[in-house]
Amino acid sequence: MTVSSQGLVAHHVSGEIRVTAPNLHFLTGKSLSRLHDGAAVPFDFQLMITDSRNNVIARALERFTVSYDVWEEKFSVVRVRDFRKSGMRLSATSAESWCLENIFVPATSLQAGQQLWARLEIRTVESREPVAASSGINLATLIEIFSRPSRPQQDRWSLESAPFELASLNP
Amino acid sequence: MKLVLVPLLAVCTLLGQSVTPAGDSASDLNVNSRYTIESINFIDQRDYKLSTSALEDIRRLIGAKVNTEALDLLAQRIRAELHAHEVTFKLTRGAAPEEVRVLIHVDQAAGAVDASVPKLIYNSQLGFTGIGQVTTTLGSNALTFQMVRDSDTLIETLSGIQAKYDRLSLAGGRIRLGFEFDAYEDKYDSSTLAALDSASRPSSLGAGLAAGLGAGAYGSRLNYEPSATFVLAAPLTLTVGLSFEQLDHLPSAARPESANAVINTLRYHQRWTGSGGNKEELDAGYSLRAATTFLGSNLAYTRHLAHARYIYSRDAQSVEVAVFAGAIYGQAPLFERFAIGDSAMLLGWNKYKLDPIGGNRLAYGSVTYGYHMMRVFYDTGSVWEQGKPPEPKQSAGVGVSSGLGVLEKGAFLLALAFPLRDGRVTPVLIAGMNF
Repeated sequence: MTVSSQGLVAHHVSGEIRVTAPNLHFLTGKSLSRLHDGAAVPFDFQLMITDSRNNVIARALERFTVSYDVWEEKFSVVRVRDFRKSGMRLSATSAESWCLENIFVPATSLQAGQQLWARLEIRTVESREPVAASSGINLATLIEIFSRPSRPQQDRWSLESAPFELASLNP
Repeated sequence: MKLVLVPLLAVCTLLGQSVTPAGDSASDLNVNSRYTIESINFIDQRDYKLSTSALEDIRRLIGAKVNTEALDLLAQRIRAELHAHEVTFKLTRGAAPEEVRVLIHVDQAAGAVDASVPKLIYNSQLGFTGIGQVTTTLGSNALTFQMVRDSDTLIETLSGIQAKYDRLSLAGGRIRLGFEFDAYEDKYDSSTLAALDSASRPSSLGAGLAAGLGAGAYGSRLNYEPSATFVLAAPLTLTVGLSFEQLDHLPSAARPESANAVINTLRYHQRWTGSGGNKEELDAGYSLRAATTFLGSNLAYTRHLAHARYIYSRDAQSVEVAVFAGAIYGQAPLFERFAIGDSAMLLGWNKYKLDPIGGNRLAYGSVTYGYHMMRVFYDTGSVWEQGKPPEPKQSAGVGVSSGLGVLEKGAFLLALAFPLRDGRVTPVLIAGMNF
């Protein structure tokens, strides 16, 4: 699944480039069914800042594991890199936003005046991959995951921002 | 050069991060890991044949906190044992706050054929009983074909086939439909034939027995049985249906009789694991079969049977208590009458010597103590006719019972049972699977 370009908005906040995507909803379909069944569903995120030649200037990779409290009927998200960082008792939209709020790239590697694009890719982790494996994920694995094409059974979302310059970004 | 170095530095910086915190566990990532597992059941309420170690895994998980990794491993194990296409689980709210139920969904591989021997018994008094079974599943449809020879369960010794169709999952797994067809040839112990002959004479065993015996010996039996099982509140289920039995009498010139009945079975089967590691299991049920002329039945009767089996185990020790009680009113055919003194109830006694045509009243109790594979048991019970006093019999025995090697899927039992009576003691050897 691909969300059309221009759906991603970059922000410059406290020396970091963050993104928002008001029209992005990845807690849907099969993943949402699994969540309602009480499963923990991991999502792999890749945020890239590229230049006009499509070179990657900066990149962030994260795995977020989402689960749904069957009693409270609320979502919970854990950032696997630092699982003490978590969002609890969230609506589906809030859980999606929480993931985007917790992936960012440092602005220090970006040059002022350079035309840049933000790209966000999200993939579901294949259901046959045990959730336990998601806890042992490392960055090299995430890079390897995003370097290969997604499999047909994987849901995938890809967004790109309009071109921007660092100085023109709103917080 | 700078453009090459920047992404390289970015990747190096990323690789320097530690993604996985120390002591992380999969279960911590699932918000439901704070809840306790109240029960684990199959969504379609089928009695899947699992190994004793898989059942042990299930028992171990009940009462523990939700652990996604352990549930994933259990799903993989069940998938392998059942040769299923996929096995998944879902969590639903439990009866009490902070507890959840685990429902396992088995997606059978389309057209997969599973052959098994669900029952194989040798009783030195009654001979062999065996069931060979082939099951194939197409989506939510299961077809089961069995070849049966049973000299153990009923007064008659039957040989024949059972064919069953099950529609496994309707209304989100809360309803299951089934249709069963059975065809049996029936044979009888000489003592049964003699007792039937005697009962048919006006001056013999008494008019009460003759009146209560709905049909004499029949040479073959056909059964058509549509049914529907409803999950009332898991694990409580209600099965309702109809049973159309046709009895072809001996000699074949005699007119066939029919025993067409409404059938109802209420069943509760639950397992618990206590905080101290103790495990409990309760399997209780009540069944009612009511044959009525309204369904075109020649025979009119009602048959009630209630049972409860409770198992408590802790570490290597276990205690099992079982009770059965039954009553028949009206003219019931032989296959409905109660018999004990076989490989399941009142072990060691010979059912034909206790009552060669069975009884219309049943009371039975059993206590079994287990330590590792060893079993020591005590049985007591009686079958009798309404209006006559029961004569309770007792037996005791020792044996071994466990999942063993290739027989792991079913409990294996090898037992020596001794009927407790005055005079000589004749031990009876019982060997079998899936007791």
